[in-house]
Amino acid sequence: MFNKKCKVISNHEIAPSIFEMVIENRDIAIEAEPGQFLHIKVNSGSDILLRRPISICEVNNDNITIVYQIIGKGTTQLSLVRSLEFIDVIGPIGNGFPIDKEKKCAVIGGGIGIAPLLELSKRLKNCDAYLGFKADAYKIDDFERYCDHVIVSTEDGSSGNKGYITDFMKHIEKYEVVYTCGPKIMMKKVKELCHVLPSVTCYISMEERMGCGIGACLVCTCKTINTDDSKWHYKKVCTDGPVFHAEEVELSD
Amino acid sequence: MINMEVNIAGIKMKNPVIAASGTYGFGREYGQLIDLNELGGISVKGLTLKSREGNASPRIVETSSGILNSVGLQNLGVEYFLENELPFLRKYDLAVIANIAGNTEDEYCEMAKRIGNMVEGIELNISCPNVKEGGVAFGTSADMVFRITQKVKVNCSVPLIVKLSPNVTDIKEIAAAAEAGGADGISLINTLLGMAIDIHKRKPILANIVGGLSGPAVKPVALRMVWETANTVKIPIVGMGGITSSEDAIEFLLAGADAVAVGTANFVNPFAPIHIVNGIWEYCKKNNLKGVRDLKGMLIDK
Repeated sequence: MFNKKCKVISNHEIAPSIFEMVIENRDIAIEAEPGQFLHIKVNSGSDILLRRPISICEVNNDNITIVYQIIGKGTTQLSLVRSLEFIDVIGPIGNGFPIDKEKKCAVIGGGIGIAPLLELSKRLKNCDAYLGFKADAYKIDDFERYCDHVIVSTEDGSSGNKGYITDFMKHIEKYEVVYTCGPKIMMKKVKELCHVLPSVTCYISMEERMGCGIGACLVCTCKTINTDDSKWHYKKVCTDGPVFHAEEVELSD
Repeated sequence: MINMEVNIAGIKMKNPVIAASGTYGFGREYGQLIDLNELGGISVKGLTLKSREGNASPRIVETSSGILNSVGLQNLGVEYFLENELPFLRKYDLAVIANIAGNTEDEYCEMAKRIGNMVEGIELNISCPNVKEGGVAFGTSADMVFRITQKVKVNCSVPLIVKLSPNVTDIKEIAAAAEAGGADGISLINTLLGMAIDIHKRKPILANIVGGLSGPAVKPVALRMVWETANTVKIPIVGMGGITSSEDAIEFLLAGADAVAVGTANFVNPFAPIHIVNGIWEYCKKNNLKGVRDLKGMLIDK
């Protein structure tokens, strides 16, 4: 983990309200693992006080790509940063996706949740991607480059199949490992599908409002079940996660 | 040569900057980014007698120049701290202050006894707004503050700092009660009780509905309360509330604080405490002061 001023190489809109930013930093790029995130100070003022946690989408040599959705003030500010400006970044942070290259894998992403799955797909050998969107699909070409099969769905039918991505996952038993990131309702469905198949291991990437982002302040907790004694505990999404074993994490809240 | 050392009721620190309780864990995380030896001290994450899970998420929401939090004292208990966290902090040259919070007066006393003299000081947290029992309930009436301070002091082998809540009508009355009860020092302010609503869902954003406000937004309130307290008590004061820069810290020192604590600013800039130490040093040099202790009482307010 480092705290660096990183040069912005590019920052542009790739779909409505979806931005792709490329930043340059060798130390962070070398250490970055798929599923980890960067904690970014979006400007130097105090009105938008906190950093914003954004997952790592791809790593190419010294460059790190992030893909983010404009949701509020912080991400709006981030979208205004121009090329060659510098942004203050802490990262890479957290536990990424456990990788076993020999296994048959599926990555299942919904909306902006597809972002951390791209670098993961790149590092897996046998991987299919299931990518769901509300309307506009993005980054599909990149997934096609790294995955055996890419299945896309949109709720309005504008790209790929019409409907929810979970409706198009018919043979999940053919996979040994499933990785998912996206809306809670989608991840809950994926967890349920995997739960009844003992041969499938499922990993979930969690999201929560964060403070320090490095494990000190305890504001980004999620409810987890200790599989040994069935007792629940709050764990930190930032440094205990963001990736958890699906059986460990509770998604009902 | 500028003397940056301070002595807060017997707690000796090489500089007046403390990492504020609840924002710094037990130092491990920030220790990956900064040299903890640069800090004057750390007030550790609020400890309870038994482990606590804390409140449901969301526990944080950003507000204008501030944050609301409702962690609810999640921690693994005082025994865990002494066995597993304190030895780590002992590797560094900084004062360790144990922040303790109980459900009952007896729990506070038991914790103070258990900690003994294993730390440099104890911070009596009677100001946490995020727990149903104890916490701020002990800190909002002068009689209660007097009583609990007196009781804990008897069981305390190290300097006792009482951490005050700003959610009171008259901070002077509360500060005087802590001093009368035997407090060796006072720290203030804890967070201001606040709330935020998601207008689209028409629901409070925090799962706990209300939470404690901190960050630059609270600084003027904190500064006023430190100044009022300094004009009321003779015991040393640790000032905090929205301190982000050395200029902020110097304001608190001029208002009558003997040391300062940095909390929310750590989330924004992990190097904030170090920048603040350096900035205070430069201010002293520029103003031909012998040391940071000269700042106390230099405010021209009469």
